[in-house]
Amino acid sequence: MEEQSVAQEQAGVQVAEEILFQPKKKRINRAVLMENLWGWFFVCFLVIGTTAFIYFAFVLSVWMSFTSYSSSSGTSLWEALGNIHSDGWYHWYQYMFSPEYSADGTLLTGTGINQRFWTTLLNSVIYMIGIPIGMAISLFLAVLMSRDIKGAGVFRVIYYIPTVSSVVSIAVLWNNLFGDSGIIVELFGTRFIGGSTWMQKITVVIMTTWKGLGGSVLLLCAGMNGVNASYHEAAEIDGANAWQIFWRITMPQLWPTIFYCIVTSVIGGMQIFAEPQLLYGNYPSQGANSASVDVTPFVGLIYGYYGLGNYALSSALGIVLAIIIFVLTLIQFALDKRRDS
Amino acid sequence: MTEVFNQNVKAESAPEEPKRNPIAKGLDTFAGWFGFGSKSSKTRRKVFYDVITYIILAFFAFIMIYPFWWMIAASFARNRASMLTTVWWPSALATENRGGSFFYHYSNIMRIMSNNGFNYWRVVLNTVIYSIVPVVIGLITSTMAAFAFAKLNFKGKNIVFFYCLAAIMVPGPSIMIAQFCVYSELNWTQNGLSMIIPGMFGAIMTAFFIRQFLYGLPTSIIEAAKIDGAGYWRIFWGFIMPLAMPAVMAQGILSFIGCWNNYLGPLLFVRNNDWYPLALVVSQMNTEAGEDTNNAPSVMALAVLALLPVLVLFAIFQKTIIGSIMLTGSKE
Repeated sequence: MEEQSVAQEQAGVQVAEEILFQPKKKRINRAVLMENLWGWFFVCFLVIGTTAFIYFAFVLSVWMSFTSYSSSSGTSLWEALGNIHSDGWYHWYQYMFSPEYSADGTLLTGTGINQRFWTTLLNSVIYMIGIPIGMAISLFLAVLMSRDIKGAGVFRVIYYIPTVSSVVSIAVLWNNLFGDSGIIVELFGTRFIGGSTWMQKITVVIMTTWKGLGGSVLLLCAGMNGVNASYHEAAEIDGANAWQIFWRITMPQLWPTIFYCIVTSVIGGMQIFAEPQLLYGNYPSQGANSASVDVTPFVGLIYGYYGLGNYALSSALGIVLAIIIFVLTLIQFALDKRRDS
Repeated sequence: MTEVFNQNVKAESAPEEPKRNPIAKGLDTFAGWFGFGSKSSKTRRKVFYDVITYIILAFFAFIMIYPFWWMIAASFARNRASMLTTVWWPSALATENRGGSFFYHYSNIMRIMSNNGFNYWRVVLNTVIYSIVPVVIGLITSTMAAFAFAKLNFKGKNIVFFYCLAAIMVPGPSIMIAQFCVYSELNWTQNGLSMIIPGMFGAIMTAFFIRQFLYGLPTSIIEAAKIDGAGYWRIFWGFIMPLAMPAVMAQGILSFIGCWNNYLGPLLFVRNNDWYPLALVVSQMNTEAGEDTNNAPSVMALAVLALLPVLVLFAIFQKTIIGSIMLTGSKE
């Protein structure tokens, strides 16, 4: 009896609670709903843009690399997507790794697609030798600027000027400074832009290093500000000299910044295109402005096949580039994790 | 470098034996001027190191600045030969045989451009359109997304966030061909829309930077505004936008400079001469007139013209730009 009444009472309380608190609950729901709606509204532009111009383009890129779409195929893009390449979807991927022979059966060295692929990929890597050099110089400058001297801010601004300036203007300038009978060539007595392939590559490396120095100097200066000064002072009191302080105290604390700089430079370095293209031209050639394969970076090859109208092959090369960069990113994460643990 | 020098000097000039030969004594006195040796002085040594620091920093500053000076000087040279031999100032100026004008090459390049079917002011207008319209609208959409990511709670926020974050990993060159094909199907490559519309949806990195900034703002402002009956749009436009202005401005200037200097984008996506931006025209003029002995300084003049707006903008906003870059660095 009693138990029943208690149960009844509880049920009654529950019902009463439900009735009493329903409006309040509903109001909360509405506020949550509004926040959800507005939240989605605020992010929708970025999400649409990312989806349409990055993810959709990426999927389309993969798909296009399976077709035989080119500027001469005479169909619209959407029709071309329906026709997978007649030699199989993997045709272009197989093509770029298969050595090419001329009509009389001799291996095409340098001009075959496989040779082009590896040569340009190697060139992109070679253009990255400026990264460690630039890092060393900017580390040196950042250490110098971390001394409490007046006017460090002015130097920071000056070092950043090449980074903000237009790559095309800089290329025109480089063409005249490093070109034959240019002032740098007269000064050093060797030919740069007009010289051997290696000198041509070095010219590009000088340009990218010069142009990119400001960014890493700024990042390292910021990292330097984060270095705990009390360790520094403690080491000084213990009688460590400047060299020891730098290697034992500053470097370990600065390492995340250096690592970040190197990673972003390597990922950016794989995508180098404008500098060699502006200085030396296109490859495979498009009209008069043609370069040698020996100075063309990998993205230059993608652009070259795009210029020839072979959109499917250049998409396939683009996907290979994306895979390479993805692997580099994974290596970065792995290294970062190992450093943390 | 300075440390090595320090050790050497110490080794040479700090002999402990009481009987000192005159050379060592002289060396010690000499070292004393710089704060080393037996009469070691901390302030003198600091001044000595500071001077060395300034010399090295100034040397690198010179390397960074000199090419720009050379560029400006070369644009006043008489012809290609006198341009190439310029060190500080051209040996022969454009004034010498061309009827006077000091800025001869600046007017000459406009003539060359119109011979090649370009109008200088139209090209500048294109560049301005490409670097203002997408940047301004893109900033608003990016800040909207940043506001939602930082201050609103909605279902699927984390998923959307990582969805956008992952897009950074897709490298531009590997999707540019597909982008070109779509834009040319839509005919955007003929009317410049390919350089305007994609940017209007906002940039991921910009949104993340502003989001980091908005995290630092107190949420109580939004709560107070909500209690006062302001809607989300009011909160965004009336509170968040003005408060985030420093971050928005910094990102805006950087995006503007990026769009102004963009070369690969218009190279692929603009296929109509009427819609060429400056970067493309400079490159085209360089291949067409750069080797010509009389017109080479004119191309240099055009390169200066393409560079100048960005340099002026950088000079005005250098504090904002440098601060924003350094902030990105310290966040990492």
